Amino acid sequence: ALSSSLRWRRAKARATPVRPGRVPGAASGKQPGRRQLTKARERAALPRRTHARSVGRAAPARALRGTRGAEAQTRRGAGEPGAPGAPAAASPEAEIRELPQGDLDVLFSNIDDVIEVNSKFLHDLQETASREDEQVHSIGNLFLEFQEELERVYKVYCASYDQALLLVETYRKEPELQREIQGIIEAAVPQAGPSGLSFLLVIPLQRITKYPLLLQKILENTDPDASAYPVLQRAASALQDVNANINEYKRRKEVASKYTKVGQLTLRERLARINTHTLSKKTTRLSQLLKQEAGLVPRTEDKEFDYLEERLHWVSLCVTETKNNVAVYLANLEAFLRFRPQESELDIPGGPVVQYCSLMGDLQLQAFPDFKQRLEGLVWQPLCSLAKALSGPQNLVKKRLDKLLDFERVEEKLLEVGSVTYEEQEARHTYQALNSLLVAELPQLNQLAMRWLGQILHTFVDLQRDLAKQVLQRAEGSLAQLPHHHLSEPAFRKLVEDVLGQTGHQLRSFQENFEKVLPPPTVQPLLPGAERQVQALLSRYGPEKLYQVTSNISGAGTLDLKLLRGQIVALLQNKDTKGNSSRWLVDTGGHRGYVPAGKLELYRVIPGQGEVKEQVQPPKDSHHLTPEPSPAPVPSVPTVTQVVAVYPFVARSSHEVSLQAGQLVTVLEAQDKKGNPEWSLVEVNGQRGYVPSSFLARAPSPAPWGWSLPS
Amino acid sequence: MPKVEFTKHMGIPFKIGQPKKQIVPKTVERDFEREYGKLQQLEEQTRRLQKDMKKGTDADLALSKSAVKISLDLLSNPLCEQDQDFLNMVTALDTAMKRMDAFNQEKVNQIQKTVIEPLKKFSSVFPSLNMAVKRREQALQDYRRLQAKVEKYEEKEKTGPVLAKLHQAREELRPVRDDFEAKNKQLLDEMPRFYNSRLDYFQPSFESLIRAQVGYYSEMQKIFGDLTQQLDQPGHTDEQRERENEARLSELRALSIVADD
Repeated sequence: ALSSSLRWRRAKARATPVRPGRVPGAASGKQPGRRQLTKARERAALPRRTHARSVGRAAPARALRGTRGAEAQTRRGAGEPGAPGAPAAASPEAEIRELPQGDLDVLFSNIDDVIEVNSKFLHDLQETASREDEQVHSIGNLFLEFQEELERVYKVYCASYDQALLLVETYRKEPELQREIQGIIEAAVPQAGPSGLSFLLVIPLQRITKYPLLLQKILENTDPDASAYPVLQRAASALQDVNANINEYKRRKEVASKYTKVGQLTLRERLARINTHTLSKKTTRLSQLLKQEAGLVPRTEDKEFDYLEERLHWVSLCVTETKNNVAVYLANLEAFLRFRPQESELDIPGGPVVQYCSLMGDLQLQAFPDFKQRLEGLVWQPLCSLAKALSGPQNLVKKRLDKLLDFERVEEKLLEVGSVTYEEQEARHTYQALNSLLVAELPQLNQLAMRWLGQILHTFVDLQRDLAKQVLQRAEGSLAQLPHHHLSEPAFRKLVEDVLGQTGHQLRSFQENFEKVLPPPTVQPLLPGAERQVQALLSRYGPEKLYQVTSNISGAGTLDLKLLRGQIVALLQNKDTKGNSSRWLVDTGGHRGYVPAGKLELYRVIPGQGEVKEQVQPPKDSHHLTPEPSPAPVPSVPTVTQVVAVYPFVARSSHEVSLQAGQLVTVLEAQDKKGNPEWSLVEVNGQRGYVPSSFLARAPSPAPWGWSLPS
Repeated sequence: MPKVEFTKHMGIPFKIGQPKKQIVPKTVERDFEREYGKLQQLEEQTRRLQKDMKKGTDADLALSKSAVKISLDLLSNPLCEQDQDFLNMVTALDTAMKRMDAFNQEKVNQIQKTVIEPLKKFSSVFPSLNMAVKRREQALQDYRRLQAKVEKYEEKEKTGPVLAKLHQAREELRPVRDDFEAKNKQLLDEMPRFYNSRLDYFQPSFESLIRAQVGYYSEMQKIFGDLTQQLDQPGHTDEQRERENEARLSELRALSIVADD
């Protein structure tokens, strides 16, 4: 890459041959190393006053003009960015040796700007040569004209000069690279000598510092009465100012870059920095601070700075809080987008449900992710950058306070002792540089930061509006297809309320219907003869004491009973002799003993059991049926009209009728005329008569609870 | 063969077997399972929907609140006292955010009333349904058992006691069978009706939901549209905005006091 610019440079260099030692007044040589020439001219100019005056004026001027060109071109050549990928006619070595763009930026900084300004300056300077009488006057004016621009470009170059030098040093350490660079430079500009690159780089520095001196020289050789004199004076002092400003700028830059990064050290780095020097520094500062706190020493009050510092603090607070709040907002947005009710499968083919699902699906696909992404890129990221940018100044403000304490100490010492050491002087300068830097730049910082924050907030508002717009665009379509889109909102709300009320009723009735599906009848049919037993127990103990066995009881213990499911017993004691309440003493009507309480269920006896009940047909539409709260155990109601004779029976009187085993008989009355349930009036084979009730098999079959039977 | 559920009702002193006769036709059983299956899925989906709706509206509320916090904190910064322009902007922003939050709350309330509450009501029917299905299953088991018992007696030699027992068994069987048939029919009628009722039930809710969202976003567009105009912002594209941000950052970095990295 260097070699491509090399050819160009070579051409230029040849065009401007080196001509040392020229006669004063002649056109100047255009090569670097002007210093010697200028001095020679000056020396030559001094003895002959008048002529020298003009010559002395002219020579530096021409000298100025002359070297301008070559120098600029050399610099430009060298500074041409080694465009990566420009395949010079080079060996692979040249390509390996290609310097990275970043390095070139550091080395040559803003040389292009410098060259530009200088070219203009040179041009104008050359013009002044034509106007012989007023030349000096024009030169003075020219300098004044260019003062600002010169300062602007040169200060940047000078500020980065140190870094450039460091880079050159690193190159020096690599012998091959160094040789290559040297070779190129020697070929282009032989006067550079062995120091090569650094020699070239320092030239602009020398130039700008030379100007005041040259102007001064011209001034000395000028008649104080000449009209040009005041102009020249002003020009000379102007250029001195330029140099002073450049120095100040450089110092501030150094101070700034040194201290902005303070806050970013790791703990380890901080610890590594501690040594006796830093410790003594810190203790000195601390004692100074304490003295101030105690009122022993006046604190330097700087209202202007305090105001700036406070403002910076609030601006930073603003930015940090907003950044944190936006972070929370983004997190909530993410959570909000995670829930997708539209993904439920309700198996509904059309209508508002489908509209909703498709609407939300689309929004989740486009509108919402867009919003989130834009928010992240155009609000969150800038806030982060802004917050980060403010951290440097905040560090500097903190550092300034430290330096202020140093400064105050030194000022004290100065008052007491009258002189200070070099380090102390440096500490003073550092504080002053830092302070003036902050005072100069904080207002602008605050303003820029607030402006940016304002823009970010505006963007936030815009994004919200855009989101709403996008959502509505998509939703209007869905809205138009809704059945009641024409209704006003209040009307619709009323409608929905009514509809939901109705459907609420409907749901309730569904629920009731489902609840009417009762447990199946758990009661076993009574064993033959049990009915009589039940009556006996009932009359002896009362209905509250009757229990039915829910599952077979094996009766393992000596006093335990063995019972079958469905049997009826009467409770005597709800605990045993040892007080165990899960073991109950019961009476079966024939035997007494213990049974597990868990296998007994309270037996509800319907009064008037002896009557034959007709089966009631509940209405077909079960919706209107009033539901029974809890199903009672179905009592054994002998409503069946047909029974089977279990045993044969021979009638012994005309009141009785004979039975055969297995014969179907119709029970007319389950008791005799005297109410004795031991006899039943039956009809069999067309004959009526009484038979023992125990000879009949009974199977209770009341209508299923609460059901409409299939018709 | 239908499976036998061994319940506690095993007090019969002889072996329980499977009834030989297929007491419930396969088609009936299949229909029943299909209908119940659909309802079971509906139950699951309804529960999920309810949960998602609730969580979604909670997140919605939190989002809105965090938007309000942005402007609230700005308003409480002392810069507002010093800088009139800043104060104006932040006040306008805060007003907008608070209004949006109010609308959001209203939207959520409407959703709560017309979607979430009804969903809860719908879900509350399922326990009753499930219980009913269980009881039908119980009835079926009893039916099978007694059917087997009758078949057992039918196979035996027809003596008197056997006949008596057979008759008794038949008498026992009848009510249980009737009970099962009734339950079965009831459920076979009710289940599809309940399933279909979801159409009538959900459509109004979802219509309400869409309208609530549209209403909210309409307000949002209006409020933020007005605010944009009030803040006198030129319309920017995203590229322009990005360039602006870059420019602002460069401006800051140009200052020496700002660290450049």
